[in-house]
Amino acid sequence: MLKIIIPTIMLMPLTWLSKKNMIWINTTTYSLLISLISLSLLNQPSNNSLNFSLMFFSDPLSAPLLVLTTWLLPLMLMASQHHLSKEPLIRKKLYITMLTMLQTFLIMTFTATELISFYILFEATLVPTLIIITRWGNQTERLNAGLYFLFYTLMGSLPLLVALISIQNLTGSLNFLLIQYWNQALPDSWSNIFLWLACMMAFMVKMPLYGLHLWLPKAHVEAPIAGSMVLAAILLKLGGYGMLRITTMLNPQTSFMAYPFLMLSLWGMIMTSSICLRQTDLKSLIAYSSVSHMALVIVAVLIQTPWSYMGATALMIAHGLTSSMLFCLANSNYERTHSRTMILARGLQTLLPLMAAWWLLASLTNLALPPSINLIGELFVVMSSFSWSNITIILMGANITITALYSLYMLITTQRGKYTHHINSIKPSFTRENALMALHMTPLLLLSLNPKIILGFTYC
Amino acid sequence: MNPLIFTTILMTVLLGTMIVMMSSHWLMIWIGFEMNLLAIIPILMKKYNPRTMEASTKYFLTQATASMLLMMAIIINLMHSGQWTITKVFNPTASIIMTSALAMKLGLTPFHFWVPEVTQGISLTSGLILLTWQKLAPMSILYQISPSINLNILLTMAVLSILVGGWGGLNQTQLRKIMAYSSIAHMGWMTAVLVYNPTLTMLNMLIYIMMTLTMFMLFIHSSSTTTLSLSHTWNKTPLITTLILITLLSMGGLPPLSGFMPKWMIIQELTKNSSIILPTLMAIMALLNLYFYMRLTYSTSLTMFPSTNNMKMKWQFETKRITLLPPLIVMSSLLLPLTPMLSILD
Repeated sequence: MLKIIIPTIMLMPLTWLSKKNMIWINTTTYSLLISLISLSLLNQPSNNSLNFSLMFFSDPLSAPLLVLTTWLLPLMLMASQHHLSKEPLIRKKLYITMLTMLQTFLIMTFTATELISFYILFEATLVPTLIIITRWGNQTERLNAGLYFLFYTLMGSLPLLVALISIQNLTGSLNFLLIQYWNQALPDSWSNIFLWLACMMAFMVKMPLYGLHLWLPKAHVEAPIAGSMVLAAILLKLGGYGMLRITTMLNPQTSFMAYPFLMLSLWGMIMTSSICLRQTDLKSLIAYSSVSHMALVIVAVLIQTPWSYMGATALMIAHGLTSSMLFCLANSNYERTHSRTMILARGLQTLLPLMAAWWLLASLTNLALPPSINLIGELFVVMSSFSWSNITIILMGANITITALYSLYMLITTQRGKYTHHINSIKPSFTRENALMALHMTPLLLLSLNPKIILGFTYC
Repeated sequence: MNPLIFTTILMTVLLGTMIVMMSSHWLMIWIGFEMNLLAIIPILMKKYNPRTMEASTKYFLTQATASMLLMMAIIINLMHSGQWTITKVFNPTASIIMTSALAMKLGLTPFHFWVPEVTQGISLTSGLILLTWQKLAPMSILYQISPSINLNILLTMAVLSILVGGWGGLNQTQLRKIMAYSSIAHMGWMTAVLVYNPTLTMLNMLIYIMMTLTMFMLFIHSSSTTTLSLSHTWNKTPLITTLILITLLSMGGLPPLSGFMPKWMIIQELTKNSSIILPTLMAIMALLNLYFYMRLTYSTSLTMFPSTNNMKMKWQFETKRITLLPPLIVMSSLLLPLTPMLSILD
């Protein structure tokens, strides 16, 4: 695992010592190389985990997430080149340093064995993200967004720290590799109910759960493009990953404690999908669509069946790539018109046809078109929730319909129809932007040929 | 003032604290406290104006009262145990009175009212000495009598201090008052774990002193005592703004900075001793502290205030020499990976 962590840490001296015209080239190239190293982790010989050391391990659940994280860093760097072009050199280097620091913490979080180490790194990802959102965001609302982001997450995760320490007291070790073997049922008592709540709330806030999702539209909208990409693609998945890991220790309370959160998620996915239909702000639409997809993941994790775990993992990876691509597309709009209002830039297919092809592909994967992995994820979740309770099919079906509705609404508003008269002087698409979209789309399409690598640890 | 006299007075302050920390006779401890108090008054009044006079008077009155209470506790202890040696105080009355006296010296709630006002009235350097060095002597006595302190009183004072330190600092723009309320909150954290594991109190004290030293050094470097003047530092020394950001986040207790270490260890110790609601409550109330540190970072480093050097130029005197700033900064932000070394304290 050090073969990934040390090169990522060394990206920081690389940025500070690079010459002015080489910073982007150097960092993008080397981060692409690092992502190629992480691909080797996908070769899991058995369903058991690959243990690299006492502190790091990788598992069919964390390997795809790790590959996604390392894949995303070069994409973030490519996407940030334009809006940072006017800044002084030191600020560019600071930005890249923040991204690299975030990347290091994320890699270590996904591969941590000890749960307290996971917690510290989970919290540590907050600091660079906060700095990226508040320092390099564009509107005054970004200050409020940073505060909401920081405090929602911290309020949820401080009880998690206390809960982890009390679990360590009870069981003697928090090393995940050990716990999965000598897991015992938690006795039924009031304090164990609070233990369940304390363990899960941090990840519920991060996912986010429908009632606690207020930070997400703010943070996603106000963040610069790299911030939005990493938030949507990876940081939300930290919540899902944490939930998948910690629910192994929380039986049998999960069978009855999960009900309120299941209800909130099932209702919330319909609500947030419907709100998407009424959004004027493009990034806000994509942010609410993230909430809706993540609500599906919450439902899958709380049902706790093998199929639902497969669906949750597949959906996390698929949504990461799709959402990040949608944010990149929205950013390409923003860089040209300097506004996020959807109706200000319509009919782009006439002017930028290749970009319209990427918009089409992104919208199609967002609405879970077969045979993409988005469909595999959603289908598995829908099927397992149907087997858990037949009535949920109505809500799931409604959600799939509304998702299709708003994805097509977004596509048609921005791409089809007569173009607005003031955008006939926009710059054509850069090769960098097309490369960015291709690099998002290619893994997504290729994974539909071999989805078993992203189906997680319950695939057999 | 005359450097020779200043040195003598400073040495007396140091000697007073040393006497408190090293004696085994209760009377010597009281003498050490009095030496400390009398010698620090001229240091608090380095600039002679009504603000500092008022601050010094308030400090003197509260600390003298605390010393008198301490003397009463010592006498009651003498009456009941018949000896002057420092051990745990067996008599509950004496123990309670001594705890209150030491809480007054430290600035724990409900005896915290003097801390913001005194810190605000004095210069930055004197404030530094007040908030760091002066806490060492009372804390060492609390450490030594810790087996006998009434748990209810101490935990109540600790939790209320964290609450007051958090809430009181919310409405402040003066940096010295913000540091005073932060000191009250940190004292609360330190005394909460005193009965369970006094070593962690010392750890928290050490890291708190490092972080407060760093903060004060950064403020002295930019000669700023209000949030507004701190927000001009991006113009003059942009590096200081980054350092202020890192140190403030460390004071707020965010991982992966070293300010998280004492909080984590304290929460661990309290949870191991089966108190679960208390550390959860303390951790959540520490978020109030984090809020006003964040507000400070917002105005200092994360936004650029729209004023240029031409409009509000400060006199650029010769560069102040700040002793030990780089090592302090490194220690107040990067110590978290060294946490396993704490096992040597066993």
